Amino acid sequence: MRKDKDYHLTDPTWCKGCGIYGIFAALKKAAAALDLDPEQLVIVTGIGCHGRLNNYFRSYGFHALHGRTLPVASGVKLSNPNLSVLGISGDGDAYSIGLGHFIHSLRRNINITYLVVDNRIFALTQGQTSPTSEMDYVSVSTPYGSKELNLSGPQLALASGGSFIARGFSGNPTQLSALIEKGMKHKGFALIEVLSPCVTHNKVNTYQWFKKNIYNLDGDSNYNPRDKTYAWKKLSTEKKIPLGLIYVEKRPCYEDLVFRKEAEPIVFNDLRVDSLRLEKIMEKFK
Amino acid sequence: MHKKGKMITDISVMIAGKAGDGVLFTGNVLAKILKRQGWEISTYRDFPSNIRGEPTNYTVRASLEKIYGRGDNIDVFMAFDCDAIFKHSKRVAEEGILLCDGEDFVVPPPSKSKAITYHRFPLRKLAIGNFGKEIFKNMIALGALCYILDLNFHVLEKIISEAFLKRKGEEVVRKNIQAIRLGCEQAKEIVAPEERHSLKRREDHERLFLSGDEAIAFGALAAGCRFFAAYPICPATEIWQWLAVYLPLFNGLVVQTEDELAALNMVLGASYAGARAMTSTSGPGGSLMMEGFGLAGMAEIPIVVVNVQRVGPSTGMPTKTEQADLNQWIYGSHGDFPRIVLSPGTVEECFEFIIKAFNLAEKYQCPVILLTEQDYGQGLRSAKKFDLSKVEIERGKLLSQEELINIKDFKRYEFTPDGVSTRALPGMKNGLHMVESNEHDERGYRDENPENRVRMMQKRMKKLKAASKDLIAPKIWGKRDAEIGIIGFGSTFGPIQEAVTQLEKNGIKAKYLQMRTLWPFPSKKVEEFIATCKKTFVVENNFSGQLSWLLKSQVRTPFEAMNILNYSSQAFRPQEISIQIQKAQ
Repeated sequence: MRKDKDYHLTDPTWCKGCGIYGIFAALKKAAAALDLDPEQLVIVTGIGCHGRLNNYFRSYGFHALHGRTLPVASGVKLSNPNLSVLGISGDGDAYSIGLGHFIHSLRRNINITYLVVDNRIFALTQGQTSPTSEMDYVSVSTPYGSKELNLSGPQLALASGGSFIARGFSGNPTQLSALIEKGMKHKGFALIEVLSPCVTHNKVNTYQWFKKNIYNLDGDSNYNPRDKTYAWKKLSTEKKIPLGLIYVEKRPCYEDLVFRKEAEPIVFNDLRVDSLRLEKIMEKFK
Repeated sequence: MHKKGKMITDISVMIAGKAGDGVLFTGNVLAKILKRQGWEISTYRDFPSNIRGEPTNYTVRASLEKIYGRGDNIDVFMAFDCDAIFKHSKRVAEEGILLCDGEDFVVPPPSKSKAITYHRFPLRKLAIGNFGKEIFKNMIALGALCYILDLNFHVLEKIISEAFLKRKGEEVVRKNIQAIRLGCEQAKEIVAPEERHSLKRREDHERLFLSGDEAIAFGALAAGCRFFAAYPICPATEIWQWLAVYLPLFNGLVVQTEDELAALNMVLGASYAGARAMTSTSGPGGSLMMEGFGLAGMAEIPIVVVNVQRVGPSTGMPTKTEQADLNQWIYGSHGDFPRIVLSPGTVEECFEFIIKAFNLAEKYQCPVILLTEQDYGQGLRSAKKFDLSKVEIERGKLLSQEELINIKDFKRYEFTPDGVSTRALPGMKNGLHMVESNEHDERGYRDENPENRVRMMQKRMKKLKAASKDLIAPKIWGKRDAEIGIIGFGSTFGPIQEAVTQLEKNGIKAKYLQMRTLWPFPSKKVEEFIATCKKTFVVENNFSGQLSWLLKSQVRTPFEAMNILNYSSQAFRPQEISIQIQKAQ
C-alpha cells in the first residue's frame, strides 16, 4: 500500500493558512487510499493559485492554460483510458473563462475527476471579484460592490447532466479526501467543488464565515443523493451551503459509448494501417 | 472553336441557379461521368453560405491534360434562371452554348464578335409537367448536358444508381433516369448537332476523384492519426466528416467539441498522452486556437492543425476562397515559439503533406500547420492514385518503455544540440515529468530565472534550424532560363501554371516558384530563384500581399516584386495573371 508521502514531491509555498493546504493533504490521502501508482496518474491544472499543485505533488502533471483544464484532461483520458486523470481548477478557471468546457464536460461524462477550488475571488491576480463572489462584494475590481449575481457550480452541474456532484470544505480534509476517493471510483465525470478560503485577499469568506454557513448532507439519513429533484431543492432554496455528496447517478461514461469493449487504448494502437485495407478505402474515391 | 468533329481538349461547364436548386448534385454527377470517361477534372464551387435562395454556380472543367483550377471561359452554360446569365454571360467562350430556363429570358440577336448559341430551355415546366416536382429540373438539365457533351448514358445511369439506390430505393432511381432521358430528348429537339461539344471517351478505372479536404482526411488516417477533435466550420468540415466515418473503424476517435478552444486543447491532451492527434478549422476557428497554438509551442507538444482558408476578416465569406490567413499562422499567438507551416498546391500534395506534417510535428515536437484553401479544399479533382508504399511514420525522439527505464535522470526538456529532447508518455515507468504552460526548466517545472529563460528560448527556437533540412523545398516549374519569375503558394498553383503557358504562346518566357513550406522560410532557395529573374511577380489571393511581405522580410538580397492580387473571393483565372504580366512588359 502506498502512503501519503509517496505523492509528496516538495513542500508547498502557498500563503500560510491557505485552504489549498487542506486540499493538497486530502488529495494525497485519497491517492494513497486508492493505492494509485503516481506514474499512472495525470493531474491537469489550470491557472490560479491551485495551479502550483503540480509542482508539489508527485505524479505526471500538466499545467494547462487558464480555463482549459478540462479539454486537456479529456484528451488525455480519451487517448489512454488506463490512466487515472484528475483535473483541478479555481472558480475563475472553471466558472468564468472555462465555463463552456465545464458544462460540456458534464454532458460528455468522461471518466475524470474534477476539483474546483472555490475561494470566491481571483487570488493570483490580487483579489478581483469572481463569478462566485456574492452580490455587492467589494474588491479591487468592484470597489463599489459587485452588481452581478453569483453562480453556483453544483446547480449548473445538476442542470448539465452531471453524474457525480459533491462539495467539500478545505477546513475538513477528512471528508474531502473521502469525497475525492468516491469521485475517483465513480465511473463518469465527478465534480467536487471545494470551498477554500483565501486568507490573503478574501476577508469576507473566511474559515469562520464558511463554518457558520455550511451544513452537512453526509450522515443525514433523510438525504438521498439519487433524488435529483431533492438535490435541486437543497441547492436552490436553502440559504446555507450543503456539503457532501449532493447527487450521483449511474450513467454510461463517454469512453464506454465510443470505444469497443475489447479495444486497446488509442495510444497503444499500431499506427500503420494494412495497405490492402487502405487501398480498399482509396477505391471509394472514384 | 469546338466545331463538331473538332478535337476538344479542354472544356468548362457552368451550372448556375439558386441555392436549393440542386446545382452541386448536378455538377458532381457530371464531373463523375467525365472523370470515369477518362477526363482530368477540376471543379469550382461558388456557393453562398446559406442553404436556400441565393445565387450559386458550379463549374466543372474537364481536360485531356492535368488541370488544377478553373479556366478562363465557360463553354457550356446551363442556367436555371436569368440572374446567372447577367452575372456570368460575358465569360461564355467563342462557339459556346448557353441554355437558360428564365421566364423572361430573351434569346439575344446574333453578335458579330462572338458566335454563341443561346436557347431557352424550360426546365421547370418540364419538371412540373412530367414529374409534378420542380426538383427534377436538375436531372432534366443533366440529361440535356448528356446530349450536348455526348456522354455515355450507361456510365450516367450507374452513377445515379450509386447515389440513390441504397438511400432512396429503386423507384427514385427509375424516376431520375426518366428525367435524364427526357432532358436528353428535349435537348435533341432544341440543340442542333453542330452546336454539340462531343467529348472523346476513354475508360478510366484507375484515377481518384476527390477534394483536398478528403485527401487530407485519408492522408491523416494513413499517417496514423487516431484522435481528431473539432468544431463545425466551413470549408473544413469535410475533413471531419470523413474521419468521423473512418477513425472509429481503426479504434480511433472523433470528438465534436464545444468550441475551437476545446478542440485544440483536447488535441494537446491527446498528443501528450501519445496519440497522433489533429484538428481542422478555418480562419475564425484559427483565431480561437491561437491560445492553444502557443501552448503547443511552449510545451513542445506535437500537433497538426489544418486551416482551410476562407474569406476573412471576421465572418467574412464562409464558403469562398482566399489566402489571407498566412500571417495568422506565421505570426499568430503571443510570444515567440517554433511552428512549421506547409502549403500544398494540389489534392495530391494534400495527401503527401499531411503525412509529412505528422512526422515533422513528432520529430521537432512543435505545432505543424497545413494551410489550404476553400478552392481545392472543397473543389473536386481527378488525381493519380496515392502511392501508399511511400507512407512513412517517423516518431522522432519518442522513447520506448525499454529505453526510458534505462535513463538515469529523465529530463523531458533536456538541453540538446538540436534542441529536441526525448519524450516520455504519461503512464510510462521512470518518466515522471511536468508539462508547463509557464516557462520551465529541463524537468518541466516552473522556472523564472533569466538564464534558464534564455537557454530554454534558444532550445525551442533552434529546433526550426534542425527542421529546415527536413522540410519540403520550394519547387521551380517552367523554363529555368526564363527571366520572368512568378512566386505563389497554395491554390494559385493551377492558374499560374496555365498563365505561364499562355505567356509562352505570346512569346514571353516565365518560370514559377511554388512555395510549399511557408515557415520556417526557405530563404536561400528563394534568393537563388529571385537572383535568376529580371522581374518577379508575386501572385496571391489577398489584399495586402501577405506572401510578398514575408518575402521582403526573409530575402536578404534587395529585389523588386510586383504584386498580382485577387481579393474578390474568387480563385484566379489564368488570364488575370498572364494579362497583368504581359502589360508589365
